[in-house]
Amino acid sequence: MAQSRLKILILDDEPIVCKRLKPSLEKQGFEVDTFTRTFEALQAVQNTKYDIIITDLKMEGMDGMRFLQEAKKIHPDSEVIVITGFATMETAKESFKKGVFDFIAKPFNLSEIQRVVMRAEAKIQGTQGKP
Amino acid sequence: MFTGLRNLWQKLFKPPPKLVAFPEVFEHFQDLLQDHQKIMETIADLGEKSGGEYVFDRKYLLDTVNELHSLLLRLVKGLNLISGNRYLELYTTLDRIMLPLEAELRGRLSLTEEMPYVVALKDAPLDLPELVGGKAGALMEIIQRLHLPVPDGFVVTTRAYRRFLEHNQAEERIHSLLTAWISEKLDTMQISRQIKYALLAGVMPQEVAREIRREAQSRPFWAVRSSAFGEDGELSFAGLHESILQVPSAGVLEAVKKVWASLYSPQALSYRRQVGLLGEEAAMAVLCQEVIASRASGVAHSLDLEAPESDVLVIYAYPGLGRTVMEGRTNLDRFVVERRQPFSIRAKNIVKKESYRQVAPGGGEAEVTVSPEERERPALAEEDIQTLARWSRTLERYFKRPQETEWALDEKGQLWILQSRGLTSPKPVEAPDIYESCSTYTVLIRDQGAVAHAGVGAGPVFVVSSDHDLEGFPEGAVLVTRYTAPWLAPVVPKAVAIVAERGSPAGHLATIAREFRVPTLVGVENAVALLPAGQDITVDTHNRLIYQGRVAELLRYELIQSTTFEDTPEFRLLRRLLKRVAPLNLTDPQDQNFTPAGCRSVHDVIRFVHEKAVQELMDLPRFLKRFKEARVCTLVSEVPIGLKIWDLGGGIDPQAKGSQITAAQIRSLPLRALWEGVTLPGVWSTEPVAVDFKGLMSSLTRTLGEDLSAQDYLGINLAVVTETYLNLHLKLGYHYNLIDVRMDPDPHHNHIYFRFVGGVTDFTRRTRRARLLADILSRYHFKVDIKGDLVLARILHLPQEEVRRRLIALGQMVGFTRQLDMQLKSDEDVEHFLEVFVQCLEPAGDPKSTQGGKNGTEQIENPHPGR
Repeated sequence: MAQSRLKILILDDEPIVCKRLKPSLEKQGFEVDTFTRTFEALQAVQNTKYDIIITDLKMEGMDGMRFLQEAKKIHPDSEVIVITGFATMETAKESFKKGVFDFIAKPFNLSEIQRVVMRAEAKIQGTQGKP
Repeated sequence: MFTGLRNLWQKLFKPPPKLVAFPEVFEHFQDLLQDHQKIMETIADLGEKSGGEYVFDRKYLLDTVNELHSLLLRLVKGLNLISGNRYLELYTTLDRIMLPLEAELRGRLSLTEEMPYVVALKDAPLDLPELVGGKAGALMEIIQRLHLPVPDGFVVTTRAYRRFLEHNQAEERIHSLLTAWISEKLDTMQISRQIKYALLAGVMPQEVAREIRREAQSRPFWAVRSSAFGEDGELSFAGLHESILQVPSAGVLEAVKKVWASLYSPQALSYRRQVGLLGEEAAMAVLCQEVIASRASGVAHSLDLEAPESDVLVIYAYPGLGRTVMEGRTNLDRFVVERRQPFSIRAKNIVKKESYRQVAPGGGEAEVTVSPEERERPALAEEDIQTLARWSRTLERYFKRPQETEWALDEKGQLWILQSRGLTSPKPVEAPDIYESCSTYTVLIRDQGAVAHAGVGAGPVFVVSSDHDLEGFPEGAVLVTRYTAPWLAPVVPKAVAIVAERGSPAGHLATIAREFRVPTLVGVENAVALLPAGQDITVDTHNRLIYQGRVAELLRYELIQSTTFEDTPEFRLLRRLLKRVAPLNLTDPQDQNFTPAGCRSVHDVIRFVHEKAVQELMDLPRFLKRFKEARVCTLVSEVPIGLKIWDLGGGIDPQAKGSQITAAQIRSLPLRALWEGVTLPGVWSTEPVAVDFKGLMSSLTRTLGEDLSAQDYLGINLAVVTETYLNLHLKLGYHYNLIDVRMDPDPHHNHIYFRFVGGVTDFTRRTRRARLLADILSRYHFKVDIKGDLVLARILHLPQEEVRRRLIALGQMVGFTRQLDMQLKSDEDVEHFLEVFVQCLEPAGDPKSTQGGKNGTEQIENPHPGR
């Protein structure tokens, strides 16, 4: 597999989410960076292009939404997966119909997010494959 | 707030309870069943979440507990509506169970519940590292879960430390000294000395002192060590806090103070400042353990972190007491051992021993000179090396991290574990490219089944098809099985992983697997056929992959790189919550503890409410009044038990007219299944029963309402049904049988409760019969309890089809027990009937499940291995 790995950024202010997701996605063959603070994640997207961004919506400090918008501004073709609590799911869906690859409700299981990431990967490789 | 609510209820319902009209009762009952279901589902959900497959945060736990609370309030309200407020006491019960749960969530348990000052290692509650510290917490798990030998001892908890500070008004003083230090008004040595002095001069509160003395009396000498929270975890306080060995029992109080004071040693203070922990309140538990007068001692590293890929473990040993070893003053014997059975020794390096230290007869230590001919003798015999290697791997498997284990060999030649902690690497271990390395292995099963406990385990496949196979189960094998029956429990701690063809993550086996942290996949179709018996496989439940062979890179990655989710605060919290939610203690409605006061968990409360709600519906005088409005039919069947069916909705064909129905008109799924079993050929009786059909019909056509007397009621066989629910009371001959079933499309809702008691024969014969029933039920994977002639069995969370199979079997058993009552006269008859029964069961039951023995005799000899 000489082809370069897809890079994933995970942002969630609950460290447990990052800790659990990172090894699971690494084993699927992705390069994974995790952040619990929005401004650090923002710095990271300015320096690196992430193919897939996984972010929580409601966090202290900068809102997940704003982070999303900023990240998309810098790299419009990053695929964004939003993880969010059940309560905010509907609002999230409404306001993010555009630009967000998929939503996952918390709590979620690992195979669930693995599947969504694989679909995002397929989409990215599909578009890259085009001339 | 709940007291307020309760008062409100009491006020509202003070007027004499009047009989609630049936349609209303019926509606409340339906609501109650629904809430009961939702709570069952939530409990199952929480259990599943503790398996590591789900990613959740603290907020999820908070929301779930809140939801549980409102459902429970509604459930209790429902029962009170049905019963005319006869169960107001349940509000107190709810407070008693829910308030500590909510306190746990706020992290303030110590304030709401009296936590102990002193706990014994062997029976202290697990999952409370904040109370007992990391070192003691690990030892408790080693004793209570892994059953490995650890010297006896007790823990002076952090609560005792807080009480001590409070008693001496030391908190303020420490705080102001620390503030002065941080702003650099005082130097480290100064403030350390002042704080330590304040602590050492402090007076031990009476209640704490009393408890410490009581425990300390039991042995002449103690090892008194720090057990700070986080000490053996991610942070390394190793060596920063005091350990005092050979403390006489009268000196334990002072030693405890010294260890507390070592929280503020200059080194500990600097370290805490360095890692940014100063803002947090320091608290320390103190571990007191019996001193092992050791002939040899040392350390085992379950993995050689210098060269993880070499797949070896290393044992260091030296004669005498352990201090020499830990202080690193001497060169030690070093044994390099393979990490797999039979733990062959790959290399050994024996040093020359000039002298060692040992326990002096009157306490204290003495230096011993080694005679020249003894100098090059190894400090550890080969068999001891093997034992230590095995323990080291057991500890690593349980704690999911390479372990550094201190051990001692006593004068009698018995090995002991003194402590065990995660082994931290001296240098960052290079992360392997895990995806690349795994992709070279053959995958046997991919994306199958559900995760009951997350993790990775590798070992040879061992298929268990009956309890007969359990004895041969080798330590470190992968348990592969068709079922997740409770009798598998004894081998779970020995398994490195479990793969089951059936079962649910909410089931019984899954719960046990989580207790012992064994990676477990359930519902993996064809696992027995696909996984080669005796050959190595690697089970990765994080990614639901089963590889052929041992994926060494993955195993190392898990040990070194991956997170041990079991030790994260969220999972610990969830496990503590579950202890107050999930266990079912109230199994027998006839037990004297079957009361609101007897409820100890959420599960108990809903079991109680459910049972009482059903009883309320059955309550004789009310029942008679309500009966006129209820739709009760009589089942016309060749099996003449005059079963009355009370349909609460969807249980009977709406086209059915009049008060009689036939079996074909039953719509209730559980009743249909049960009746299918009852009416199977040969079940009701092996002899053709002479039935006067006319007479039978006439007795059945009389409706209950016309001439129902109390006498008749007692003998009534009544089924309360909905489409997916059955509550069946049977009085056949002299025994009384209750079967309560739910069979929804969603397995989480489902249960079968079975209760059987009574008979006029002598007690021996009754208990013999009870055992027989228990044997049969165990074959169907029920969890069975017998007390004398009482049989209680339950099974939860099965898919509809599985519930159906079991109901058919229960139906057969109902017929069977009737025969028993008439014909069971001698021991030979028991054998005979079991055979007859097993034979007639075979077509209805799953043939796979009855392969345990030729005719089930093995199961009689050892019918309840799980209990």
